[in-house]
Amino acid sequence: MTTETAPPTAQAGPRALAWQRRRHSVARFWKQYRTRRAGLLGLATLVLFALVAVTAPLTVGSDVSSVTAAPGRPLQGPSGELPLGADRFGRDLLGLLVWGARVSLLVGLLAAVLSVAIGTLVGVTAGHFRGMYATVMMRITDWFLVMPTLVLAIALATVMSRSLGTVILAIGVTSWPTTARLVRAQTLAVESRPYIERARALGGGHRHIMLRHVLPNVMPLVLAQTTLMISSSILAEATLAFLGLGDPTVVSWGGLLQDAREAGAVSSGDWWYLVPPGVAIAVVALAFTLCGRAVESVLNPRLGVAR
Amino acid sequence: MSTQDQHGRGHPHPARTRLRAPRLLAAALTLATALGATLAPAPQRAAAKEKRVLTVAVAQSVDSLSPFLATRLVSTSIHRLMYEYLTDYDPRDAHVVPGLATAWKPSPDKLTWTYTIRSDAKWSDGRQVTAEDAAWTFRKMMTDEGAATANGSFVGNFAKVTAPSPTKLVIELKKPQATMTALDVPIVPKHVWDKVRDFSKFNNDRSFPVVGDGPFVLTDYKPDSYVRLQPNKTFWRGAPKFDELVFKYYKDGDAAVAALQKGEVSFVSGLTPAQTAALRGQKNVKVNEAPGRRFYALATNPGAHARNGRRFGDGHPSLLDERVRHALFMAVDRRTLIDRVFQGHAVQGEGYIPPRFSTYFWKPSADQELSYDPAGAARLLDEAGYRKNGDGRRVGKDGRPITYRLLCHATDPNDKAVGQYLKEWWGKLGIGVTLDCLDNVTDPWLAGRYDLAFDGWSVNPDPDFVLSIHTCAALPATPKDTGATDNFICDRKYDELYARQLAEYEPAERADVVKQMESRLYDLGYMNVMAYPNAMEAYRTDQIESITTMPEKSGNIYGQDGYWSWWSAVPADSGTSSGGGSTGIVIGVGAGFVALAGAGAFLALRRRATAEDRE
Repeated sequence: MTTETAPPTAQAGPRALAWQRRRHSVARFWKQYRTRRAGLLGLATLVLFALVAVTAPLTVGSDVSSVTAAPGRPLQGPSGELPLGADRFGRDLLGLLVWGARVSLLVGLLAAVLSVAIGTLVGVTAGHFRGMYATVMMRITDWFLVMPTLVLAIALATVMSRSLGTVILAIGVTSWPTTARLVRAQTLAVESRPYIERARALGGGHRHIMLRHVLPNVMPLVLAQTTLMISSSILAEATLAFLGLGDPTVVSWGGLLQDAREAGAVSSGDWWYLVPPGVAIAVVALAFTLCGRAVESVLNPRLGVAR
Repeated sequence: MSTQDQHGRGHPHPARTRLRAPRLLAAALTLATALGATLAPAPQRAAAKEKRVLTVAVAQSVDSLSPFLATRLVSTSIHRLMYEYLTDYDPRDAHVVPGLATAWKPSPDKLTWTYTIRSDAKWSDGRQVTAEDAAWTFRKMMTDEGAATANGSFVGNFAKVTAPSPTKLVIELKKPQATMTALDVPIVPKHVWDKVRDFSKFNNDRSFPVVGDGPFVLTDYKPDSYVRLQPNKTFWRGAPKFDELVFKYYKDGDAAVAALQKGEVSFVSGLTPAQTAALRGQKNVKVNEAPGRRFYALATNPGAHARNGRRFGDGHPSLLDERVRHALFMAVDRRTLIDRVFQGHAVQGEGYIPPRFSTYFWKPSADQELSYDPAGAARLLDEAGYRKNGDGRRVGKDGRPITYRLLCHATDPNDKAVGQYLKEWWGKLGIGVTLDCLDNVTDPWLAGRYDLAFDGWSVNPDPDFVLSIHTCAALPATPKDTGATDNFICDRKYDELYARQLAEYEPAERADVVKQMESRLYDLGYMNVMAYPNAMEAYRTDQIESITTMPEKSGNIYGQDGYWSWWSAVPADSGTSSGGGSTGIVIGVGAGFVALAGAGAFLALRRRATAEDRE
C-alpha cells in the first residue's frame, strides 16, 4: 500500500509501530484465512494457473500460436502427440490453452483493477464531499448500474479498434458502479467516526483525510471486491471474445471458443475444441470467487458473525 | 453481430414469501391445463392447413431492396425472385433463354436492338407488363445518377430507349455492346416506381406486398430478421410449388446448422468444412458441394480517388509501387490456404474469373505467375527501396516501419483465418499487419480508409459486370458519392480493353479480350485472387424433394444466376415432423409444470414442517 520501507528498529518510532501493526494484522488475516478450506482450495488453484501462465513462454513458447508452423491437421482429434487435439489451423490445443491463460488472466486482472480503481475514486470522493458533487456522481453511478454491462461493453468494443486494451477498457469502464456504491457506504461509515472529526480539527485537509484515514479503512473492502471482480472480468473477457469483439490474432480462452464456434465445432461435435477452454474459464472464475468470498468473510466482521 | 441476451446473468428468484402448498399446486395445475389447451390444437391445425414453407437460412444483411441500389448477393438473389429480367440464363448450361423478352434482334449495324416483350406477363397488382415498363427502367438509369448506382454499367452506352408498342422495346446504342442479351437488370413497374422521388435514398421497403412480376412476391421484410415472399400464382413460367418462401437470418453458422438438423430451416449455405463433414452422414440431409462462382481475393487500395480527380482516403503510399504489391502476393502460399483454411473445398486462385466459366477463365503463364517465393518477395522489396531496419522491420519512405491495415469481415471466419496466415507470412518479410475485423466494412471501404482488404464477387455467366467495377467510369463522381467501383482501380489500358470487349459481338474474340483484361488486372496487382471457394450447402430431403442446381451437373443452389432453385423446389410429402414437434413441446411443457409444481409443493411442505425450528 505504501512504498516506504521499515526504518531501523533501534527505537520504536511511529513508522515502526505502524509496520509492526500491519505485520500483525497480515498474520492474523492469514491465520483466519487458513481455516477456510474453500478459500485455500481457490488459492491453490490460482497459484497453479498463475504458475502455468507465467512459465508459458518457457514451456510452450509463442510459436504455439503460429498458424504457419502448426504441427497437426485441422480439427484433428486428441492423440498421444497432441493430448487435446488440434484447432482449425492444426495448432496444438493444449499449448494454446496454456498460452491463452496469460491473456485471460492478464485481462481479468487489469480490467478488475481498472474497474475497482474507478469505483474507489468515485466512492471515496462521493462519500467524502457529499452535497452537489456526491449527488451528481451517484446519479452517474446509478445510470451505469442500470445499464446492462454487457451491452455497454459491446458498444464500446465495437466503436474502438480491436485490441486487448480496448477489451480491458470496455470491461473496466462498465463494471465499476457496484464498487463505487460499496465504497461510498463504507466511507460514510468511517467519516462519521470521532477520530475523523479530530483529524479535521487538527487541520487535516480533504486530501489528508481521504488518503490517510478513509482509504486505509476501505482498503479491505476494496481488496475483497477486486478479487471478486476478477472472476467476472475474466467471464466478461471470454464473452466479448466469444462474441467476436476481441482481437482475432490474440489467443485467449474466449477467443478459442469463438474460433471453435466459427469453425463449426459445435455442430460437428469436436468436443476437444470446446470443452477445455470452457472448463478453464469456469475453474479460474470459480477459484477467484472462492478466494474473494474467503477474503471478504475474514475482513468483514459483519459476515464473520454468521459463521 | 447479434446480441441476444443469452449471456445476461439471470437472478434466481428468492422464494422467501410463504406459499401454502395446496394453493400453489392448484395454481400450477390450472396453468398447465390452460397451456396444454392452447397448445394442443396446434398439430391438428397444422395438419389440416399444411402450409408448406421453404425456409432458407441466410447471414448476409440486405443492403437495399431497391433494385437500383442493391449489389449484395442476398439482395440481388431476392430481386431475381421479385422481378423478371429481359433474358434469363438456362439452368443447364447458362446459355441465354427468353425471360420477359421472347425474342430479340439486332439491326445490321448492330446499333439498334429490338426486343419482343411477352404479352402473358402480369404485375402482381393485375396490370399488364409492357415494353414501356422496361423502357422506363432503362431510361431512369440513364438519366438519374442515383438510379444508376447498382447497374449503371449496362446502360452507359445506351443512346435511346423507346417502346413503340406494348410488346416492342427498341434500344439504340452509341457503340456496339456485347451484353445486350445479358442485361442483368430487374425491370420494375413504371406505375409504381415513377412516384419515387430520390432513387439514391429509396429502399423499396415501405409498403408490402411489393409489386413485381417474378416467381415470388415480396410480402414482408424485417432487417436482419427475415424476408418473406409468397408465390406468384400467375407467373408466366408456372407458379412455384411451395406456399411460402422465407429467408431467415442466422448470424451464426452453427446456429443455422442446428436449425437445419432440427428441421426449422430447409436449406443452409456457406457451410464450413467441419459442418459439411458432420452433415454428410446425417439422415434426411443432403449436402451439395459445387465449384463456386465466387472468387476470393486480396484487394489493394490504389489510392482512392474520385472521377473529378480529388483524392481521398489514407491508403499506404508504398502500395502504389507495383513491386510492393507483387512482393506481398508472392509471400502468399495459396496452396497452404486451400489445404488448411478451406480444407480442400476450394480451388487455388489464378485469374479474375473462376474456372467454372471456362469460356472466360484465364491463368497466368509460368513466367507471369506470382508464385509462392518469399525470398523473391524480399528481394523485390529491397529493390523497391523498402529495406529492413535494425529491428528487422521494413521501413517506408517516411522512415517509419510499415504496418498495413487489413480490412476483414468480422462475420466471415475465412477472412480471420487467412488474415492470420498473411500476418505471419508478411511478418517474416518484415511487414506488420493489423487485422481490422469489422461488422461493417462498407464505411471504411467507401471512404478509402484501408490498405488491403478481403474481397469477393459472384461472377455472372456474362462477366461484364465484374469487369466493369474496375473501370475509371465506375469511380465515384466526387469523394462524397458512392460509385460502382470495387476498389478504386483506374487503369487506361484496362479501360481500353473493357471498351473493346463490350463492343465485340464475336464470342471467341470477346473471350480473348476478356482474358487480356484479366492478364492486365493480374499484372497490376491490385486484385490478387487467392482461391475460388466451393459452394457448400445442405438441405432437408424430408422438406425439399427436389431442387434445381445450376449448372445442372455439380451446380450450386444458393445465389444462382436466376430464380431456378427456389422456383423449381418441390416440397416433400411429410406433415409428420411438424406435428411431432408440437406434441413434443406440449409433453415437455406439461412435464416441466408437473416437476415445478412438485418441487414447489415439496419446498412449501418442508418450510412448514420446519416452521417451529425457524425464528
